[in-house]
Amino acid sequence: MNSEDRFDRAIGYVLITGVVISLLVEAIGILLYYLSYRHFNISEERALFIHGRNFFDFLIELFQGGSMGKKAVFLMSLGVIILILTPYVRVLMSVLYFAWEKNIKYILITLFVLVLLTISLAV
Amino acid sequence: MLNMISLFLISIPVGFLGALTGLGGASILVPLLVLLGIPVKEAIASCMVAIIATSSGSASSYVRKGITNVKVAFYLEMFTTVGAIVGATITTLIAPVYLYFFFAGFLLTSFLKSGEEVKDDWATPEYQDKLSRWLDLHGSYFDEAKRNLIEYKVQNALLGGLGMLIAGLAAGMLGIGAGAFKVTVQESILKLPPKVSSTTSNFIIGMTALAGTSVYFFSGLLNLTLMAPMAVGTTLGAVVGGRVLNRLGNRTLRILFYAIVAFLIAQMLYKGVTSI
Repeated sequence: MNSEDRFDRAIGYVLITGVVISLLVEAIGILLYYLSYRHFNISEERALFIHGRNFFDFLIELFQGGSMGKKAVFLMSLGVIILILTPYVRVLMSVLYFAWEKNIKYILITLFVLVLLTISLAV
Repeated sequence: MLNMISLFLISIPVGFLGALTGLGGASILVPLLVLLGIPVKEAIASCMVAIIATSSGSASSYVRKGITNVKVAFYLEMFTTVGAIVGATITTLIAPVYLYFFFAGFLLTSFLKSGEEVKDDWATPEYQDKLSRWLDLHGSYFDEAKRNLIEYKVQNALLGGLGMLIAGLAAGMLGIGAGAFKVTVQESILKLPPKVSSTTSNFIIGMTALAGTSVYFFSGLLNLTLMAPMAVGTTLGAVVGGRVLNRLGNRTLRILFYAIVAFLIAQMLYKGVTSI
């Protein structure tokens, strides 16, 4: 198997792993939501919307302030984070792969997407 | 009564149909949520996140088998991500009434490929333009139905990129994958083989959805109780749909899908007209 095939495989596994973990976390989040609220209603409460300034701050706050009563919201938010990180890690891996292959064109192409996403998540 | 369980149960067949017809589930889910009384911007933001799961989940096996053209995907993602960030930003700023009309208009493009079965008359272009050659846009994959290795070249990289900018813009604005539009650009402009085109489009949709999500994440529109059941349901449906894709004559389902889309277009227009 050549390095390109191995790279394809690796990103395929990253995608499926990220999605499976994220959806399991979401499903547990939904169950915990039921256990604490005793219903499955779609909520318009502010607590059930993602809020904050930017992704990276949100990540830090999430891990600092996960109190027991907010476990459901914590898990559902965590599921979204894992989901967001899945394609993000995929671009990151691609930059590293092309750097290792010394393919300047594709280092620049993948780096463009990585920088754009990082900026958009950070502001 | 819409709750997380009923939304989860609705999302499974929607994801299944979306994968089977190649047109995606979000173009059904957004107007359906609007019909059920969810604010349109919330519906869009939540679907955008759910798409990351649906698309990445179903793209995975085709990437591992080497059918997806990863280089073509990386190149096109430069355009779709810019488009999606701009599109999502527009949605957070404009009045909801415009979104009903944009959505109805874009749903109409789903009919571009209507009635079309997998084409057999595809042939790789003879020559490549400078940019496509410079980008090394070519590839090969093993066709299981024909039992041979198919090699191909890609054309018109610049025009294809611009087409993808529009696809990304629509996807980010409306919280959908815009898969039908992407596949059309890849097949008619870039001349990708149909199988490579649909799997590569699926792969790109995950990244485009991430770009859209990066804007919606802190717009205060992302409702976790909407997003969670949809992400789980559509992905389950899509994974099953992807597996039976090759075994089913899907003409009947296609007609069903178009009937639903036609109804939803009418409903979005109605909603738009009544809220002027």
